[in-house]
This record gives sequence, C-alpha cells and structure tokens, in this order.
Amino acid sequence: MEISSLKLKNYRNFADYEINFNSVGALISGKNGVGKTNLLEAIAYFAFGKSFNTNQDEELINFSKAFFHISAKFNLKNRVYQFDVGCDKNRKNIKIDGKNISKISELYQFLKIIYFSPNDIRIIDGSPSLRRIFINQATAQYSFNYLDSLRRYKHILKQRNSILKTNFDTSEKKIWDQQFFKSAIEIIKIRIDYLQKFSPILAEKYFQISGEREKLKTKYLFSFPQKLESIEENFSEQMKKNEHQEKIQQRSLIGPHLDDIDFEIDDKSARKYASQGQKRSLAIAVRFVQADLILKKGNEPPILMFDDVLADLDRDRVGEIIQMLEKNHQIFIATPNATIYQNYELPIVKLEGFSE
Amino acid sequence: MFSGLLEELVQNLKKLPGIGTKSAERLAMFIVNMEKEKAHELADSIKETVDSYTNCIVCNVLSENEICEFCGALNRDEHLLCVVENTQDVYLIEKMHEFNGKYFVLGNLLSPIDGIGPQQIYFSKLKELVKSAKIKEIILALNPSAEGESTINFIASQLENVEITRLSVGLPFGGDIEYTSSMTLSSAFKRRFSVTE
Ligand SMILES: [Zn+2]
Repeated sequence: MEISSLKLKNYRNFADYEINFNSVGALISGKNGVGKTNLLEAIAYFAFGKSFNTNQDEELINFSKAFFHISAKFNLKNRVYQFDVGCDKNRKNIKIDGKNISKISELYQFLKIIYFSPNDIRIIDGSPSLRRIFINQATAQYSFNYLDSLRRYKHILKQRNSILKTNFDTSEKKIWDQQFFKSAIEIIKIRIDYLQKFSPILAEKYFQISGEREKLKTKYLFSFPQKLESIEENFSEQMKKNEHQEKIQQRSLIGPHLDDIDFEIDDKSARKYASQGQKRSLAIAVRFVQADLILKKGNEPPILMFDDVLADLDRDRVGEIIQMLEKNHQIFIATPNATIYQNYELPIVKLEGFSE
Repeated sequence: MFSGLLEELVQNLKKLPGIGTKSAERLAMFIVNMEKEKAHELADSIKETVDSYTNCIVCNVLSENEICEFCGALNRDEHLLCVVENTQDVYLIEKMHEFNGKYFVLGNLLSPIDGIGPQQIYFSKLKELVKSAKIKEIILALNPSAEGESTINFIASQLENVEITRLSVGLPFGGDIEYTSSMTLSSAFKRRFSVTE
C-alpha cells in the first residue's frame, strides 16, 4: 500500500500544504522544528484514527484556527482510496471515499502504517502502560476484531469498577463478573496468539542485529499467578481470591488492562539490564516484526516511517537494518541530516520553516 | 447571547437527545419565526401527547389507555412474553409480523455506570407477572451489548419455572465472515441450523 498525495489545511504548522509522493516514498529533510514529524503524523492519522503523539485532536489544529482538515489518496489492492478527516473543537469526521466510517477499526482493517518513533525505546524500558499500548496497537493491526473486542472489554471493566464502588447486590455483581471474565480471556488469548507468532521472528531479527550474539525471548506477563493448567482456571481462581480486596479498593485488580510483556536478552530483562544501544536496536527490531507479520498474513506491504531513529545507531547496526528493508515497502525517513541516507535512493522533500 | 424566554426555550430543547447548544439555538429561532398558528399546533401536540400517554399498568408499553392494545388484545398468545428495553422495540418487532404474543418493557438495561441496577428496571414487576400469568416462554429481545448481555443473564438467573430464550446472535445478511468478530462468529457457529430450514 502507498500514499500518493496529501493535502493539509490548518494542521499543526501547515496552514495550507500539498504534496505528491511516489511509490518508493520520500526522505523528508529540514531543520528541527520545520514539521517533519507533523508530516508523518498527518499521514499516519489514517492508520490509527488519531495522532500517534496525542489523544487530543484539538492540539493538532493550527494555532488560532477553528479546524483542521487532512485529505490523502492511498493506493491499495489496485485501487485508489480517498481518505479525509475534518476536525473542529466539537467533533471529527473520518471518511473513506466520501463515506463516514462508523468505527476506528475500519481504518485498522484498511491501512497499515508502522511508525518508528524516537520514543520507541520506551516500549522496552518505559512503564507497563506503554507496552500495553504497543501490544494493543500491534495486535489490532494484525487481528481484525481485536480493537472491537478491546473496546468491549474496557467498557465492561468500567461497568464492573462502577459496581464495585456501590453497595452491590451479589447476584448482580456475579453477572458482571461473568462478562468480565469472558471478555478478559478473549483479549488475553488474542494477544498471546499474536505473541506466539511475534516472538520467534523477533528472536531471529534481534540475533541478526546483534551480530549473532544475543538471544532474545518475549514473555507475556500475567497480572495473576499461573499455577493451574489453563488461563481460564488461573483467572477465575484469582478473581475469587481478590473478591474481598476488590471490594475495598473498588476496582478490578487483575485483567489484560494490567498485564504486561517483557523482553529478555540472554535471559535477563531488557527493561532493567539492557544498554541504551541494545534497547534502541531492540525497539527497531520490534517495529520490523510488527511490519513483517502484517506482510506474512497476506496484506500488502505496510508503509514504514522512520522518524530520525537510525541516526543514533552505530554504522554496523544501521547497515543490518537497512538490509532488512524489503524493497517493496513505501518508506518515509525524516531526518535533519539527509547525507546519512545517500545510498538509499529516495526522493528528497525539503521542508523550510514557515512564517505565520 | 439569548435571554429571557428564548433562552429558556433553548435550554429546554437541549434536553432532547442529540441536540447541542447550536442546534437548540437554531431550532428556537426557527420556532419563534414560524407562523404563530403552526407553532401553537406544535406546542399543543406536544402537550396533548404527553398528557394522554402513560405506561401500560401491565407491561409498561407507552399507551393512550391504562391497558395497552397488546395487553388488551384477545387474539394474542398469552403463553409467550417478549421482554424488550423500550416501547420503540415493541413497534420494531410488530413491524415484522412474526410475533403474536405479549410484551413487557423493562425501561432500561442494567448499567452500573449510570446507576441502573435491578431496582431501576421493572424487574420485580416482571417477576410478579411471570408468577401470576400463564406464561410458558419468555423471549429476551435485548441488545447484545454489554448491558443487554448482563440484563439477559440477570433475568435468566432470577426467574424459575419458565422457559427463557434469547434472540440468536449471528452473521448479518450481506456480511463477510472475514470481518465478523470472533464472538459473533462463535455464536453463529453454535446456533447453526439445517440448510433445509
Ligand atoms: Zn400492556
């Protein structure tokens, strides 16, 4: 899949901007602050239904303006699709070929973009919530219904937490417990299914990047002990044990909203023990595997975006990574220093500062 | 902006679902600019309807009479009771001309977020009705949302000596298996039926 044109109106620092892309992608260069990331963010908006930097659409509206609008043409499955998003302070509308979408999961089904962010290192060493965002997003790109299931889970969780705050009737709570259980197990199973495909490929990629020295494992960390045979048994066992404590704390104490993942390099937690260099290359490998799995599932190659992430790696590792790139992805690289990538034949888009 | 009676009208219109300040102001301006006679007709019609509609004392369907047309009908099967969330659902089911039993309106679905528990739906009334009447089957025609599921499970766990069924959840006509949620698909699978049916 690829983007062929982009139009921005009042988006961040772009008051009025139009650009066409070709199928290999572009090298977006320019000084810091000219809006390289903003350009990537605008393209990726259509893959996620929101910015990868903020949940507040209002922040995307150009200072002093009332709305923003992005429109883009994407080629996929031998067809051109027109995507539009318009947003003001009260609402936003996302359209595919002029028709409003009814839920964000429709975008996930359509467009697959992998954004390599300079903050990705936080997937390795940041808080569990950042890893949950990662696993949710990666799973949603891979598994059609995950996002809808996740939304249902979050809703049931909210209902269950509400009931825990009241002087509830046991028979009523039991009903919500059952739904909570069912939905939680569904989410955990889809995630684990994804990780089972993800983990061996990541191990292989990381082995390559590390110069065939380091062994990597990816583990799913449950928020409840694994003593019995099945996830179901373990979950319901702990739900029983937590009953009293949940009543006191008035919230659900286990569930996929509290689960985590861990990467282990040579059996040591990368979160705690990996060096900056290891974490950086691991973060990049993680994104590659995300892309790889989408491709393996029979989708068109996802668009890859590198936001100034390769520059800090040493030359060997950059070499390894560039070799991993399949030629058929459309690639966007944002960098203040275009010369690093001169071997890589991408058309250069030079952004200049904008005057208001 | 607006003041006095006009502002009061705006505030009242805003109580309607889906009406924000902007739409309320637009509607208010439209109403005061209408021909006086037409505007009075609108106001009278709201007042009359509100005054003359009440919940049926048996089943809670909105009705002009104390006992609604369904509860009063002699040719409807009183062994079958279809439980729905609101009166609109009753008319939706009526439209398909498949069901000829009686109805019961719950008024709400269980939703702790909104403070709606078993006491806030007409559950005890339903329980009484089931005890007294000759009902053999209760059909729970509720949304398959989280709230609907909970309400279905709650009612099913509390009622005895009566057959309880729910609407089947499955593939939509014109749907695509690839894009069907695993929950929907597994439900459709469990409740598969013979192709000769
Ligand atoms: Zn009635």
